[in-house]
Amino acid sequence: MENMKPDESRLNNWLSLGFKLGIAVSLTLVIIGLVILFSISGTKNIQPLVRLEQIPAAIVISVGILILLLTPIIQVVVAMALFTKARNKLFIGISVAVFCLAVIGLVIALI
Amino acid sequence: MLLWLTTLLNELDVAINLWALGGTGLVAGLLGSVLGVGGGVFIVPMLTLALHLPIQVAIGSSLVAIVANSGTAAGVYTRARWTNVKLGLLLETATIPGAIIGGLAVAFISPSILSALFGLVLLYVAYTMVARRHHVSEDIVSADNSAATDILSGSLANSYYDQNLSKVVGYKVTHVPAGLGASFFAGVLSSLLGIGGGVIKIPVMHLVMGLPMKAAIATGAFMIAITAAVGALLYQYQGYIYPFIVAPLVIGIVIGAVAGVELAQRTRGIVLRRIFGVLLFLVAVLMFLKTASVI
Repeated sequence: MENMKPDESRLNNWLSLGFKLGIAVSLTLVIIGLVILFSISGTKNIQPLVRLEQIPAAIVISVGILILLLTPIIQVVVAMALFTKARNKLFIGISVAVFCLAVIGLVIALI
Repeated sequence: MLLWLTTLLNELDVAINLWALGGTGLVAGLLGSVLGVGGGVFIVPMLTLALHLPIQVAIGSSLVAIVANSGTAAGVYTRARWTNVKLGLLLETATIPGAIIGGLAVAFISPSILSALFGLVLLYVAYTMVARRHHVSEDIVSADNSAATDILSGSLANSYYDQNLSKVVGYKVTHVPAGLGASFFAGVLSSLLGIGGGVIKIPVMHLVMGLPMKAAIATGAFMIAITAAVGALLYQYQGYIYPFIVAPLVIGIVIGAVAGVELAQRTRGIVLRRIFGVLLFLVAVLMFLKTASVI
């Protein structure tokens, strides 16, 4: 069995930190956005479509959601960087491929 | 396309109860932790059948909630060294193209067909819940496999310390092509139906590729977070994700997932799995009835 324990540990530690940090930041923004929304529109029924006075809440929540969705993709970049440091050419290539595929998906969606 | 989008917007001209959304996320997170299924199989039917949201909006919202749930789990599992990050990244080279295809196809598939497809997936998940005799053990998969001689399989071999067994569990990975094929299919279903895809990925990794169950679940969580994120971003740009619907779902599912970890240690999983399996069967029937416009 290939022994890369120090590099594997470093990879796992950074990925764990990245996921936890990304989720924490995004959830914080979502909660702040909800608090703003509650102060404007109350705490019960709302319309999904954003009204003018709800725009600040929608912006904060949307930024939080965007950070949430980008967090796993950023972890792929983190993995890419760590594989580069470890000079693991095979998994540099694989992580680059995963990142490129994710970007291609986003580009297709934008077209 | 414009007429359809206008229709979608008209369907959204309804009041949504934020607490109902938060409660949906909470229950999805709890069930996910206790039963080992993703939140999508609960969230999508709840949002469509109970809250009457268009299915594309329900799927997009579910995908965002799944990213929160799986991302939280991935943060814990990678720290515990259960995740096979290399295998997860390799399988994602097949999963992401599937997710892209599923995410783009949703605009061209009618809501009734999506509901019917979702009903079929629910039937499959219900069957696996009820039919399984016992919780899959953490047995160490035999490391003796002559197929694991190539460089790739050697690179994918991994190990972790299992606290329950009080020993290091080592394993090798086999049948990578089969895993790639299953991952592609899981990616399509994930984006098309708003589920994590774990119901396909985890059994394949455990039963076909040779991963112990904990490693399969942990690697699955890592993969699901990435796949669902790509799918959700596609739905975001197609206009199916509404911040006021997603926000309470996300908060609820993270709280539910954290609480579910504690609950899972105090409950008999097999009984809950069978009860939930029966419930899923009933929900599948409701989805088919909705497809047929009976309800």
